[in-house]
Amino acid sequence: MNSTIKLRRRRKILKAIEPYLFCLPLIFCLFGLFAYPMIRAVIISFQRYKLTELKKVRFIGFDNYINSLRDKNLGMITWNSIKYVVIVVGLQFVLGFGLALALRRPFRFRNVYQAVAFIPYALSGFVCGLMFRWSFNGEYGVVNDLLMKLHITSSKIAFLGTPGLSIIPVYVAAIWLGYQFFAIMLLAALQSIPQEVYESAELDGCGWWRRLFSIIIPYIRPTLLTILMLRVVWTFNSYELIYVITEGGPASSSETLTSYLFTRAYSNLDFGAASALGLMFAVVLLICAGIYMKLTKYNQAGDF
Amino acid sequence: MAQRALQQSSSYRPHYRRRFRWKWGEFGRVCVLIFYVLVVIAPIYWMFITSVKSYGEIVNVKEVTYWPQTFTTANYEELFNAIDFGIYLKNSLLYAFVTALTVVVITMMSGYGMSRYQFRGKGFMLGMWLVAQMIPGILGTIPMYVIYSKLGLINTRTGLFFMFITGQIPFCTITMRAFFDRIPVSLEEAAFVDGCNRVQAIFRIILPVLLPGMAAVFVFAFTAVWNDLMTCVIYTSKKKLWTINVILKSMIGRVSVNWGTLMAGGIIALLPTIVVFAFVQRYVVSGLTAGAVKE
Repeated sequence: MNSTIKLRRRRKILKAIEPYLFCLPLIFCLFGLFAYPMIRAVIISFQRYKLTELKKVRFIGFDNYINSLRDKNLGMITWNSIKYVVIVVGLQFVLGFGLALALRRPFRFRNVYQAVAFIPYALSGFVCGLMFRWSFNGEYGVVNDLLMKLHITSSKIAFLGTPGLSIIPVYVAAIWLGYQFFAIMLLAALQSIPQEVYESAELDGCGWWRRLFSIIIPYIRPTLLTILMLRVVWTFNSYELIYVITEGGPASSSETLTSYLFTRAYSNLDFGAASALGLMFAVVLLICAGIYMKLTKYNQAGDF
Repeated sequence: MAQRALQQSSSYRPHYRRRFRWKWGEFGRVCVLIFYVLVVIAPIYWMFITSVKSYGEIVNVKEVTYWPQTFTTANYEELFNAIDFGIYLKNSLLYAFVTALTVVVITMMSGYGMSRYQFRGKGFMLGMWLVAQMIPGILGTIPMYVIYSKLGLINTRTGLFFMFITGQIPFCTITMRAFFDRIPVSLEEAAFVDGCNRVQAIFRIILPVLLPGMAAVFVFAFTAVWNDLMTCVIYTSKKKLWTINVILKSMIGRVSVNWGTLMAGGIIALLPTIVVFAFVQRYVVSGLTAGAVKE
């Protein structure tokens, strides 16, 4: 009698924890590898924490935050980041949307075409960076050669050695590497528009532009907003291309906030200051994302 | 399936009133499509021909050649003979394969859990995932480095595997969940009615239908690890643990950069991803867009 009740209770408990058992790896990742490290990062940010002087670790209050804000490079680097995100995401969006529109209606070998056109999506930032670093080489680079053959410039430009110009190869590489993501996502959204909508608009005599702005864009707006936000955040947080192509140089003129963070953490080995800076802009980013979600009524954009 | 049905239905085009404009539109579209292929191919082509040029031809200041005067495999030979590229290639393959296999198995579980159960904390976990997307990854590496050095995991293969696998689980779980969402629950229920238990239902009924999802997750995890540079840069300084990307990156810093060899390495680094992607591109695309588009 007693044992059956026990068994039943055990079964009930098992049933209750079953979903958690299934999700255990995810729960572990989210808490053990995201939540806990973030708490540690907050603690480190209030400490004098240099990897070279681990014996002298101690709490120093807000010093890391104050020093980070006093950094005279900070203004320029923030501006670099904003420029980088706006230019890269903007052009990625235009190119990606164009490709998605061109691919919307099926044609023979579309799958083969997509396999080629989406190649950069599968490539690494490293290989892409390598490729463009070499293409923009000041002496033997193909870009200089093409510019001169087209009579746009008369002499070779040392792209990577000139402050202000060294970020251009990074822009090009980042755009090249990322517009397929827009294309893939927007193509899926475009294909979810019922064909009848297009047809009735055409019957009503809508021109191409009119169709684009009155039908296509409103229809895919939720997807569009989601992708734009994700892409802005990802671009903001990426630093691999800068690390490979310019290494922040010359004289930290091409650093963005994230690459600067990397330098602070792993070249200067000043973990305290890097954490403080990183946390500050993570908070700013989260607030911006929150406002964006509110303004665009992101919740209606589907579960992403 | 739904996508294919959509494609078929949209191949139906009305033919009235638009013969002339249709042709111009089609011509423009072909031009656009050619443009996009050229944009993709050009840099890769440049990388490839650099890798098969001789050293003298690469560093010729006067003339940049668009077709190599002499084809040579010297760059590839140097890669394997002079810097032991084989070791790093083996490392890269090992990390990518083991991670991808492990991640597929783990996310089949967690994806199933996230798809089939409603439980307390599920929304919270999804929200946390979204927030995690927004935190710069580099910020997370700082405390992780501290934790890793306390656990003695810096410069170990175990540490790297752990980092790679756990790094892929959240995103791949969400992807896998979207694939599970597409499989009707009634399919499982029918299996139960026919006398299958849960395990049998999963292996006999769900797995075959889930193959595209597994392929997508495998490719995501494989390419992510194969393409990784920073994890390895940050958590290892021992050369024998390095991947091809790290060794190639360390070559750029040298005074005399041999671009031919570097490009040869780059070609080897991009080949597997291109090949894998070409075969399963359709699944990857549907994996990426699953759940993203409200239909």
